[in-house]
Amino acid sequence: MRPPSTILPLLIWTFSTTVTADTNQTSYIEELQERAADKVLWRNQEWMNLGHYRASGLVQKGFTSSVDDAHFFYAPDGKTSPQHELNATLAAFFTTQTTGNEHALCRFPARFNWLAKHLKIDTGRLPAVNCSDYAKWRRLIHAESVTMVFPTYQLNSPSSMFGHTLLRLDPADDENWSDWLSYAVNFGANITDGDNSMSYAWKGLTGGYPGQFIVTPYFKKIQEYNQIEKRDIWEYKLNLQPAEVETMVTHLWELKEINFDYYFFTENCSYRLLELLEVARPGVELTDEFVLTAIPVDTVRAVERTGFVEGAFFRPSQQTIVKQMIEELPEDDYARLEKLLDQPIDEHNPDFQSIPAARQKLLLETTYKLLRLRQNRKVRDPLVAKKSYRLLAMLNRYPPGEAQEITAPVRPESGHHSKRVTFGALERRGKAWTELGFRMSYHSLEDNESGYLRGAQINIANIVLRRKNSSGTVVVQQADFADIFSLTPRSRFFKPISWRIRGGLERVYSDDQDRPVAHISGGGGYSWPLLDDGAVYTLLTGRLEANSTFGTWIEPALGAAIGSLYHGKIGTGRAEFHAERFAGGEYRLKFSFIQNLVLSRDNALRLKFKREWHDDRDFNEVGLSYNHFF
Amino acid sequence: MKRIFAGTVLLIASSAAFAEAPGGPDCGWGNMLFEGQTGGGPHFLASTTNGTSGNKTFGMTSGTNGCSTGGTLTYGGDSMASAAEIMDEFSEDVARGHGDALNAVAVMIGVEQQDRTTFSQVMHENFTTIFPNEDVTAEQALTAVNTVMKSDPRLAKYAV
Repeated sequence: MRPPSTILPLLIWTFSTTVTADTNQTSYIEELQERAADKVLWRNQEWMNLGHYRASGLVQKGFTSSVDDAHFFYAPDGKTSPQHELNATLAAFFTTQTTGNEHALCRFPARFNWLAKHLKIDTGRLPAVNCSDYAKWRRLIHAESVTMVFPTYQLNSPSSMFGHTLLRLDPADDENWSDWLSYAVNFGANITDGDNSMSYAWKGLTGGYPGQFIVTPYFKKIQEYNQIEKRDIWEYKLNLQPAEVETMVTHLWELKEINFDYYFFTENCSYRLLELLEVARPGVELTDEFVLTAIPVDTVRAVERTGFVEGAFFRPSQQTIVKQMIEELPEDDYARLEKLLDQPIDEHNPDFQSIPAARQKLLLETTYKLLRLRQNRKVRDPLVAKKSYRLLAMLNRYPPGEAQEITAPVRPESGHHSKRVTFGALERRGKAWTELGFRMSYHSLEDNESGYLRGAQINIANIVLRRKNSSGTVVVQQADFADIFSLTPRSRFFKPISWRIRGGLERVYSDDQDRPVAHISGGGGYSWPLLDDGAVYTLLTGRLEANSTFGTWIEPALGAAIGSLYHGKIGTGRAEFHAERFAGGEYRLKFSFIQNLVLSRDNALRLKFKREWHDDRDFNEVGLSYNHFF
Repeated sequence: MKRIFAGTVLLIASSAAFAEAPGGPDCGWGNMLFEGQTGGGPHFLASTTNGTSGNKTFGMTSGTNGCSTGGTLTYGGDSMASAAEIMDEFSEDVARGHGDALNAVAVMIGVEQQDRTTFSQVMHENFTTIFPNEDVTAEQALTAVNTVMKSDPRLAKYAV
């Protein structure tokens, strides 16, 4: 009988060589361990990848695994010693203390395949083990190719602001398949019941959550992102070869119910997926550049740059589909759509019959989709269910026709990179300054818009230093922890609110001079479309400021802002007038105008004009800066 | 893999047609049309944060939507619950005559590529039989799908 190929998945060991001579077994294990030591196998990158080890320590060079789970290691010091873990794993393969699904041969098929290949393990000496769970799992997930899935971001859920990435395991090109039934591989924080979004963000940042891989049918992800969260999905087919997919999937099994450290910015969903790809294609380096942050779209770029991507597919959210369908309707039909939403009519309605059949059908389908969208996240309402059914029954009377064509937007990974440096020169109150800025991520309203969502600003960790040219004094002009601005224009059928929240340190003019203050500012209001490429907005604003000139150390202010945003051919421009008054009586009026000039994908010039009116003085600030994204 | 789900879904569908609470009390199988994804609580939170909510899923027990996975439902239960979970999307696709959910259900049932067009067409023509009203349950609808297929010469071979 020939031992099964070590490359193929290890399913059932049909051998039943009873271990009579334990000493023989022990010496064979020692022989393998010596062979591994001779080859310095523990230092091999593939072993490092399988154990999720990374170099750690500045003075004493060592290794640490980002797996935070004793169940993943056989050596007591396995988390920090790849070498001990390798030896302990070898011993575990031969143990007869555990049996069945809990045996190392069943739990660590990727480790086994790799070690067997390098050490030429005599499989005849292994204990007989029946890995029924693994065999069942492999039958269930049809993994022959891999797709990287990028649900784009949505601003209204802070923890999803940057988007997300997951993998989808697909069968080999099979026209008989439906990707709805493929399995999605998702890495996420394991949330304790009852945690809210803010505590998620905090624990996520600080590593308070364990993260785990979960595998679910892909249609659940479509429902979750396309429908419930109204996020568009981009799918990138990867060119992983069957053998590479095999390695990845065998390793994925090793991560079942295993806890990892989870950090929102660094070791997050996207980072872990890159690690899986590194396991699949040894020699490829994807994770090194993501020391500071692993922003999902940046990881998509890295995967594309490394030559993994074969093609992209756009899966629009239900909201995107409805919005486009509404645009396709002639405006005459808007009133009909409103009427239909409110009260389904019967098919003999003369007004409805007066429009052509194709329009009737589009109108019915649009109404149905909009009605369902409005019912999103709500408990089943018998009346809405009745209306919905009525619309479907009416829609059913028309011939099937063609599927709705949805125009895909510019691919998100083709947009500017998410870190930004700024070099600028400006004049404020008649004095010349030089400016240097750095922003960790991600996109400002005025930044090069291609590939980004219009009216969505997420800036995290933005710092601006200014140097007074005459004296050489350097000051921190601005240090934002976060600055998030969501401008979503309202329309006849969609009524979103616009809002902004910002907090950090900045220098403001107050009581005769520019002085540093700490603040949290925010606002809420509405925005409306202006022509095809613009929007106007108005917000009620509030601010809490700690300022040394105030009578109390902290003072609140109320204000209002009105502004416009315009996406022109040369770049985006924004003008805003903002007035606010503090509880102690100080008032500030500001007009600002910013015009971005796109030079290339990652380069832009920015003009800025500002006028401020205060109790004691009015003045201007004019500046020009160069922005580079990387 | 083409016929992995074949039979299992419908076998249970037809045998469970008269049983109560198939798959257990919390099973999506008994869900009415337009029950949708209401979310709420930890599940809703988990989905907005890309996370999981304590119940560890690794493909093995997922997709059951609260359906019992014991006995005959161990494997069929997974696809059965899957069909129940996309019932809203399926009803829309049947009404319209095409769509991803319609295709997914065809794959679950094991309808071969050359019969997919017929499947879509027959489903479309029988919308009111499969979905007689808005209170139809997933179980009733899939039982009706089976009945409709039985009476079609090309699709009868996929029915149970």
